[in-house]
Amino acid sequence: MLEKLESMRSDSLAEILSAGSPEQLQEVRQKWMGKKGLLTEVLKELGKLTAEERKTVGRLANEVKEAITAAIDRRQETILEEASAFSGEIDLTRPGTAVPAGGLHPITQMAYDLNDIFRSLNFEVYAENEITSELYGFDHLNFPPEHPARESMDTYWIAGTDEKRGAERLALRPHLTGASVRYLQQHGAPARFVYPGRVYRNEATDARHERAFFQYEALIVDRDFSFASGQLLVKSILEKVFGREVDVRMRAGFFPFVEPGFEIDMKCLVCGGTGCKVCKQVGWIEVMPGGSPHPNVLKAAGLDPAVWSGFYINIGLDRLVMMRYGVDDVRLFHSADLRFLGQFR
Amino acid sequence: MKVSLNWIREYVDLPADLTMERLAFDLTMRTVEVEGYENLSEGLKNIVTGRITEVSPHPQADRLRVVLADVGLPAPEQIVCGGSNLEVGQMVVVARPGAKVRWHGEGEPVEIKASKLRGVASAGMICASSEIGLADLFPSGDDHEIMDLAGIACRPGQNLAEVLGLDDEILEIDNKSLTNRPDLWGHYGIARELSAIYGCTLRPLPICTVDAKLPACPVEIANDDLCRRYAAVAYAGLVNVPSPLWLKVALTKVGMRPINNLVDITNYVMLAVGQPTHGFDRTHVKGEIRVRTANEGEVLELLDGRKLVLGPKNLVIADRENPLGLAGIMGGRQDSILPDTTEIVLEIANFSPTCIRHTTQAFGLRTEASIRFEKHVDTQRVDQALGLAAKLFADIVPGSRITAFTDLNLRPTVPPVVAVTLSFLSTRLGSPVTASDVEKSLNPLGFQVEADGGLLRVATPSWRGTGDVSLPDDILEEVARMIGYENFSYRAPVITLEKPVNQRPVQLDRNLREYLAFRCGFQEVFTYPWVEDRFHEAAGFRPEELLAISTPPSPENSRLRASLVPGMLETLVTNLRYFGSFKVFEVTQVFRPGAMSPSVPEEVLPLQEKHLAGAMAGSDAGALFFEAKGVIASMARFCQMGPLSFARMLEPVWAEKKVWLNVMAAGEVIGSLGLLSLKTMKAAGIKNTQAVVFEINLEKLSPLPSRTNGFRHLPLFPLVEQDLSMLLDEAVKWSEIEALVGPMVREVEYVEEYRGKQIPAGKRSLMLRVRLGSEEGTLTSEQIEAQMQSVMKKLNRQFGAEIRGV
Repeated sequence: MLEKLESMRSDSLAEILSAGSPEQLQEVRQKWMGKKGLLTEVLKELGKLTAEERKTVGRLANEVKEAITAAIDRRQETILEEASAFSGEIDLTRPGTAVPAGGLHPITQMAYDLNDIFRSLNFEVYAENEITSELYGFDHLNFPPEHPARESMDTYWIAGTDEKRGAERLALRPHLTGASVRYLQQHGAPARFVYPGRVYRNEATDARHERAFFQYEALIVDRDFSFASGQLLVKSILEKVFGREVDVRMRAGFFPFVEPGFEIDMKCLVCGGTGCKVCKQVGWIEVMPGGSPHPNVLKAAGLDPAVWSGFYINIGLDRLVMMRYGVDDVRLFHSADLRFLGQFR
Repeated sequence: MKVSLNWIREYVDLPADLTMERLAFDLTMRTVEVEGYENLSEGLKNIVTGRITEVSPHPQADRLRVVLADVGLPAPEQIVCGGSNLEVGQMVVVARPGAKVRWHGEGEPVEIKASKLRGVASAGMICASSEIGLADLFPSGDDHEIMDLAGIACRPGQNLAEVLGLDDEILEIDNKSLTNRPDLWGHYGIARELSAIYGCTLRPLPICTVDAKLPACPVEIANDDLCRRYAAVAYAGLVNVPSPLWLKVALTKVGMRPINNLVDITNYVMLAVGQPTHGFDRTHVKGEIRVRTANEGEVLELLDGRKLVLGPKNLVIADRENPLGLAGIMGGRQDSILPDTTEIVLEIANFSPTCIRHTTQAFGLRTEASIRFEKHVDTQRVDQALGLAAKLFADIVPGSRITAFTDLNLRPTVPPVVAVTLSFLSTRLGSPVTASDVEKSLNPLGFQVEADGGLLRVATPSWRGTGDVSLPDDILEEVARMIGYENFSYRAPVITLEKPVNQRPVQLDRNLREYLAFRCGFQEVFTYPWVEDRFHEAAGFRPEELLAISTPPSPENSRLRASLVPGMLETLVTNLRYFGSFKVFEVTQVFRPGAMSPSVPEEVLPLQEKHLAGAMAGSDAGALFFEAKGVIASMARFCQMGPLSFARMLEPVWAEKKVWLNVMAAGEVIGSLGLLSLKTMKAAGIKNTQAVVFEINLEKLSPLPSRTNGFRHLPLFPLVEQDLSMLLDEAVKWSEIEALVGPMVREVEYVEEYRGKQIPAGKRSLMLRVRLGSEEGTLTSEQIEAQMQSVMKKLNRQFGAEIRGV
């Protein structure tokens, strides 16, 4: 009996070790430990033995049982570690499954980046209609009556109105600034708002000129706003856009709706100001015009220029996006070409 | 505009240590944008004067000569040359190795190297004027004529740039930055700015003193608003010859071609002081000079041969009989200065900028003169031009004399005196300024400042007094720019905290775009508001009913879109060239005739509404349509707005008759989605694809104040899911099935439909999924069976559904 148990121990352990899968191991367990298993049968016969025999045989039988159980557990763990959840071959260098295509236009992305910055400074976002009148597009903005921008060679006038004047002469808006007067008329001062949008100029197109392009204008109107503050505003905004410190300079610039008016330059981010192809060897890149609203513009908006002053900035969105990505043809923005737009996800 | 630094130095002594870089920076920061600068001698490096000492035939070539030339070296250099006018003793221009020339005046500059020409060594090249960019200064008879320096003081071996006075820096100034500064359209004005910037003295210009006993040169001005001043100086004893070299060089350097001494003087005066002048042959003037508006239909032949038909809006200079020239723009052919001219009338006048601009625009004629008059020159400028012209005639045309003189100064420029307070200037500058600061900034520019406590009275000089400076803000700008914008420190504005900005429609617009782009996989595109007529027509619009642009980008692109669908059709065409399936959208305004007044009642604008449109291309029409429907159906939930629903009310013209729906909000049609009909696709040129388009009027959406999803408790006991497959008549719609089953179960959901071989015609197989459950306990299989049975029975009774499986 004792010999039989000893040989059962060695046989079963050998079988357990040779079991290669959870299923085989289960078979082995059944063979030895199941209801009719070989070891189970032996244990059933223990009753037939004498008390003396039962003591020694029983002890050994229990020892064998525990050894088999422990071996099965160990083997189970080993099998789990060695087993694969994936049958067959796999090429891990294959590309991952594509996420759904789709994305925002790079101009929209830039406008949203700017919106986020201005919203954090408590600016409102305002929009004007794209067809406006000469009254808001020019008259309110201190453009002299004979200013060349009023001619049809510069502005897209709406057919049937181009011989009229003022409120009756309609155009695709030539710039965004007219919207500032509308907003101020509605909301008064102090005011802080941005008004991004598309504007239109009648001109020949090439890689750097478009008939339809995007501007992002911001205006802050407050009591005694100094342009030293305006300069800081510009700097903060550009730093947010480009994500690093930028040097800004303002210099004399002329636009009818501002006095004083500025051209605002940013130190070239490519060469750091030493001069390169991007900045045409100047070290500075013209990024936007700006300035204090002209007293005549404030008057048109119903505000007293003796009390209120402020600061405009007008960002050319196309230009800024071109700088951000190195895009070399402004006409691509209106191409609706997915080979181009798909690059800006 | 080109500015010569040597010319500037005639009027002001600039600091000795001033670099070009510094000058360009300071002028840019304070006055006008310097786009670049260039030393003309850069292009003439290694180009020297030489004297020909020997000319002999070339052994290999009939047309070439072997020349020996003294170029200042110990021994003459041997140069092979094909010039037709070579002579011993001739002073010529020699391009030595390292010089850059343009072969025959064409193409890119090429570097000269010592080489052999047809076997004979040549140490350079004897140049024609066109080969070194000097054709204007030294016009040549034919291509083979080399440039002859006869009459020019020089010795062999000198740098040509030095000899000709071309050793000069030329600044290129951005004309845009000059539009408001009529005073800067001449060298004297720029010199004045530089004298103010660097604190150097500006030399005065010569003054013209005319003998009071001279007879008048009769002039009549019909309208003193159009012609404010007219000085006519009659010169006699003239000869028409080429100008002296210095004058020709001065003009050439700033881009003006020398003509003859008489014309060159008038151009020089304009470029010096910014006052256009015009000379015409006095013998051609019949009677007095009349400055008048043209008669309707009057014809004038210009200097350049063009014939203009004039009208009463055009101002002319006429004699008793005919118009002689277009005032302030261009002279006429009849009065021009001819080779035999000995007497001229020199006109130095001031014309209305409005009138000049109108005429230049009407005839598309822009000249150096009209550009300056348009900017509004002051009448006092005439004095500067008179003085300088008188000096030039005396210097350059020795026998010349003034024989008659008239100066009608009817409407002198009255420059404004601007009252401005120191406190205004200090506040707006962001740092305190005193009266003496202001004086120090403004006096060098010609302003006179009178201080009375905190109040300043600033008298504007005439050259800034024609509109440019009139307000305290203008004075602010002058002070600020002279202090230098770069010298103001940053100052944080004081901002009071207010309630946070919350603009629901703005947020909804962004939510919609981000939903379509990021969740639904659409690419945003922008298209032009003008669309080709064929796309308008394909989308069902009659072009003649749309708004139009009076001067459109092209004739077929004159109509503005009343819908975004035409643009979507074009976008489909664009991208089908490269892609088989894609999804795009656009959000922007559309335009329709109508009336709205967003700001003031007198301004009536056409109807303008913001729309959203999408287009999807692919091969499975049904799949595309239901994807679009799903996108619209989920829009409200994901973008936080009032709910949308679908109905068939107004058929979109562009849609396939069977496959379209209207989008509804608050009981109103606000848009459509549909499969493009074959007819639409043909009209738009869309081929070999299926496409679904949708468009929604965004003005009709109602943004919600916040997310409004309610919370539902999770079921206490697990739900049981059962799929049910049935055969149905095509007439029975899903919406009916859903309405029937819905109330009987916890949830009901569409799974799929099938039409095909095993399914009889007129029928479809439909699979739906229901979820059953109870709040009292887990359902037993008997309860589930009973509920399913009642659903099936009801489906069968109501719709004749043949249940195929559970």
